[in-house]
Amino acid sequence: MADTIYKFLVEPLQYEFIQRALVASIMVGISCGLIGTYIMLRRLSLIGDALAHSVLPGVVIGFMISGKNPLSLFAGALTAGILTSILISYVERNSKIKEDTSIGIIFTGAFALGILLVSQLKQVHIDLSSYLFGDVLGVSDSDLIMSSVITVFILISVILFYKQLLVTSFDPTMAYIIGISTSLVHYFLMTLLSMSIVAGLQSVGVILIIAMLITPPATAFLLTDKLKTMLILSVMFGIISSVIGLYFSYHFNFASGASIVLTAVLFFAAAFLFSPKEGIVQKYFRRKRNTAVNLTEDILKYLFNAEEKSSVGNAVTELSADLSLPENKILSALKRIESKGLIKGEKENYKLTETGRDLALKLVRSHRLWETYLTEKNIVDMDNIHQDAEKYEHVLSDDLISEIEEELGHPQKDPHGSPIPKKK
Amino acid sequence: MTVISVKNLTISYNKKPAIKGINLEVGEGSIIGILGPNGAGKSTLIKGILGLLPSETGEIRIFEKPVKEVLKRIAYIPQKEQFDWDFPINVSEVVMMGRYPYISLFGRPDENDHLIVKEVLEKVEMADNQFTQIRNLSGGQQQRIFLARALAQESDIYLLDEPFVGVDAKTEKAIFELIKELKEKNKTILIVHHDLSKVKEYFDKVILINQTLVAFGDTDIAFTSELINKAYGGRLTILQKAEQLFKN
Repeated sequence: MADTIYKFLVEPLQYEFIQRALVASIMVGISCGLIGTYIMLRRLSLIGDALAHSVLPGVVIGFMISGKNPLSLFAGALTAGILTSILISYVERNSKIKEDTSIGIIFTGAFALGILLVSQLKQVHIDLSSYLFGDVLGVSDSDLIMSSVITVFILISVILFYKQLLVTSFDPTMAYIIGISTSLVHYFLMTLLSMSIVAGLQSVGVILIIAMLITPPATAFLLTDKLKTMLILSVMFGIISSVIGLYFSYHFNFASGASIVLTAVLFFAAAFLFSPKEGIVQKYFRRKRNTAVNLTEDILKYLFNAEEKSSVGNAVTELSADLSLPENKILSALKRIESKGLIKGEKENYKLTETGRDLALKLVRSHRLWETYLTEKNIVDMDNIHQDAEKYEHVLSDDLISEIEEELGHPQKDPHGSPIPKKK
Repeated sequence: MTVISVKNLTISYNKKPAIKGINLEVGEGSIIGILGPNGAGKSTLIKGILGLLPSETGEIRIFEKPVKEVLKRIAYIPQKEQFDWDFPINVSEVVMMGRYPYISLFGRPDENDHLIVKEVLEKVEMADNQFTQIRNLSGGQQQRIFLARALAQESDIYLLDEPFVGVDAKTEKAIFELIKELKEKNKTILIVHHDLSKVKEYFDKVILINQTLVAFGDTDIAFTSELINKAYGGRLTILQKAEQLFKN
């Protein structure tokens, strides 16, 4: 077992190209994780995708002008990125075309231009597929130096301009009032975005790089509501996804971009399902538990009222009608409550036990005091108070109920004239 | 001293004027209500004063200077819909933004800034919630943190767009007490307001607007049923009229 893990994780590290790929993956994780957080919060995902695609012609033109070296790649990509972001807002501002359409037209146009140029290119050989789909195992030393410089630059920018990025993202009007130019910050961010795309070009490729910009931040967003934590988590998910993706790419010969992105998506899915606050699994169980508790309380209250009025109806039919639930649900709920020792009996004829009666008394007391309180304070009219009280009685604490009773001067009857039970 | 001077201000959306030829002179130390029916251009006026919207004609001067030069002396509380309440930010971080004008380009908030944030949060009774994410606040609390931010900014002019919407009566009263305190410190406060019932109690002056300026002056003089009717174009319902009579 240990041997397998060793073979999977450590053995590849003896190769230099794997070491380079590992560092490159970490750089992608950091730069995309940081910039992506702001891209997501500012709802610029589409622009991010557009910039990534339009980097292609920039890269090719860079190569045509000054040959295949990292600096021409960097300059070409950056120019293309910034130009694209300017063009998108120019078209939007000067016609009735909306932003999403403007983005669609410009980035597909730029991308098509890139493909056209590549197919015509004779003097420099460009491996198109590595730019499109990423080839993390083919990262060169100079690629690595460039992405490291970019990552450090992005990291420093995000730290230095934390205030400006925060206020322009959350409240652009406030930024304007305190003299921060929102468009300056926007284009600065677009520059950083283009740079992070360059950093991720080799390992993830232009088509999927947007995933590294939005999936790790979105995952982080589900897990925290603090910006600083979100930035850190987003970087962590970015790094972990890239590294895991890299290993899969090495061992199973997957396209590296695809395996990195799929790993990131798996993390997102996990957060979506299991996040302690936002996860849908958690929400489902919380809802189910609440429904069960509410149903128990409603049934106890019904039995209490029935005893109070000494009526002899069919409990199952009446409850089923009152709560608009099918009879079999009521029956199984009754069995469940019986097993907790709150009621005893069978079929249609259930009676409260001593514990059950105490609990029901508490509920009725809470319900009637709350109703009285709402009427006394003129908070809602008579028609609605019953419904309102039904909602709240399940959540009111003992302390609050006593406080309400105190404030009302220990009333004997509720607005409908029913007696309010005393605290036991 | 004239604090805000608006001359012949016209602002249009898609070539349709939202406000037309507005003239105003506002002095210091007063609470001014901006009133008018829906779509009358109340928010547009405030945004126009701030220079947030391009004006077709008109000149705005604040403290006898162009707006851009004195923006930092203005605190603005926009309508609540403007914000993304899911944004990962907590109460004290929002309020700290009010201190940003006093912090250098790369600077961080210092002890004094933290102290001021703490003070204003206590003032609006939100000290216990300083680390709460803003989605988890009630409507009244959400409004109070933006008031706290405005207070932290220590401005001379306060522009509030519908600060009492979605706010319970108790909070409304508390907010208004704080606004009165500002007035006593000689600040100028402009409030976009839609509830006609509290006008006499709240405002020293009113601006009645329905695209054009209908009336501007001391509440006793400008807030008459005749002028209100003119501003609301007879759209005041019987119920509102009855309420008016009852309250006055």
